[in-house]
Amino acid sequence: MFIEIIEVIISGLLNGSVYALMAIGLALVYGVTKAFNFAYGSFYTMGGYFAWTLLVSLGVKGGYYTVFLTAIPFLFVVGFFLEKVLISPLRKRSDWQMKAMMLTLGLSLFLDIGYIATFGPRLKSLPDIVEGTIDIGPFAFMNQDIVIFILSITGLLCFAWVLNNTRVGMAVQAVAQNPIGAQIVGIPKDRVFAATFAISTIMVGIGGILLSQKNFVNPQASTGIMIKAWVITAFGGMGSIKGSLYAALIIGMLEAFVGYYLGMIHIEVAVLTLLLITLAFRPQGLMGRE
Amino acid sequence: MMLNIENLNAYYGQAHVLKDVSISVNKGEVVVMLGPNGHGKSTLLKSICGMVNSKRGRISYKDQDIIKLPSEKIVNMGITYIAENRELFPYMSVVENLKLGAYSKNARKHEKKNMEKVFSLFPRLAERKKQYASTMSGGEAKMLAIARGLMSNADFLAIDEPALGLQPNLRVEVARIIKEINKQGKTILVVEQNIPQITDLADKLYVLEEGHITFEGSKDDALDNDNLKEIFLGM
Repeated sequence: MFIEIIEVIISGLLNGSVYALMAIGLALVYGVTKAFNFAYGSFYTMGGYFAWTLLVSLGVKGGYYTVFLTAIPFLFVVGFFLEKVLISPLRKRSDWQMKAMMLTLGLSLFLDIGYIATFGPRLKSLPDIVEGTIDIGPFAFMNQDIVIFILSITGLLCFAWVLNNTRVGMAVQAVAQNPIGAQIVGIPKDRVFAATFAISTIMVGIGGILLSQKNFVNPQASTGIMIKAWVITAFGGMGSIKGSLYAALIIGMLEAFVGYYLGMIHIEVAVLTLLLITLAFRPQGLMGRE
Repeated sequence: MMLNIENLNAYYGQAHVLKDVSISVNKGEVVVMLGPNGHGKSTLLKSICGMVNSKRGRISYKDQDIIKLPSEKIVNMGITYIAENRELFPYMSVVENLKLGAYSKNARKHEKKNMEKVFSLFPRLAERKKQYASTMSGGEAKMLAIARGLMSNADFLAIDEPALGLQPNLRVEVARIIKEINKQGKTILVVEQNIPQITDLADKLYVLEEGHITFEGSKDDALDNDNLKEIFLGM
């Protein structure tokens, strides 16, 4: 009984850590620009295809080391470039946030159809990042899960460090808290918007690599991920990074418990019930600022 | 001449806010711009600082045309806007707000020195280094906004209604600080509605009404003008 509960908690933590990595990117973009990035889920899928292209199609040396080392700059450039070309021109118009939502929705459809056109409709599988299991006391873990957990936490810590200790990070927070104030002190707002978009692309893309190697690369995964990330950020408080972190852990945990004790089929119902109750009584989410 | 504006026109959407405004500010001066609320004073300051998109005319600073430059370049050239409603970073501490004030490349080099200067000018801020900006009183927040502006290492400060909404003793304090930073070598353009302590500091006065400059001259000239005396100087 006791061991069971511990196992469920660990499984919740594993879920929660990847969710956090992915939801925080979405919260970041919303927090800084107040625009919702509907194409977010499609960058998750992009991460999966990037890894597949390198590992399976091209068979590069160095395996996942090479994948992660190249994925970070690749995703950054893609995010930065798309923001500059597609979203940045919208900012000169009124009500640009709404226009940006429309555009990213279109971008999402474009990318998802592009994946099918390029890679075909079938699922693709990636080699496991590590194989085997490890026993720690009475618990058995898949090595794969441990690696996912460690990399997600490392990603989150890197992100937190950048946000709190670098000039870019401070500039990002400044724009999120007061864009006019940021302009007054001479922060190049446009560059911060593009950098934010790029950083969030990295986070969800890396999440995409980590989870696609466990499951599959699926050209239709984007919508599910988008919804999951949105549920977490809405529950945590739109634009609140800490809120998203807690929300990801709570939802990861809830999923693990409901899945174990009530059955997988009830997971989504439980998560959405939690979201609706929260939003009914606290529309700004757990830690959102009104 | 440090700042020279010729025939500046600025627009907010359909509204034509500034109409052929021409002013000049010499190095080391305090220039005070008076005028009723909503007649374009803030727009003028924001235009100088690159925060108004739709404008034409000429704005030159230290003989360089700056009207087309983005705000971050203008800040880096040494012009800083101190906003009437402060525009601080609410969930950051006093020190973090000040550090961000020194964001531009030009200011970064002098961050330490300016931080010391600012704390000696505003001892109350030194006592509240870790306090969040959002939890400060109106007067303290105003001081922090001025202090953050000074962190930019600017030579030219565009100050928007620094005494608005402050109690009389704090108005005196703000006027003292403006005088002090002017003595330290900053050139200052300040807009106000009707604050005698600040008008008193002026080397030159302008009056802006309905987007036009309707008066330019010294304090003495203004006192000779019965209309101005009554409306703006409150005498």
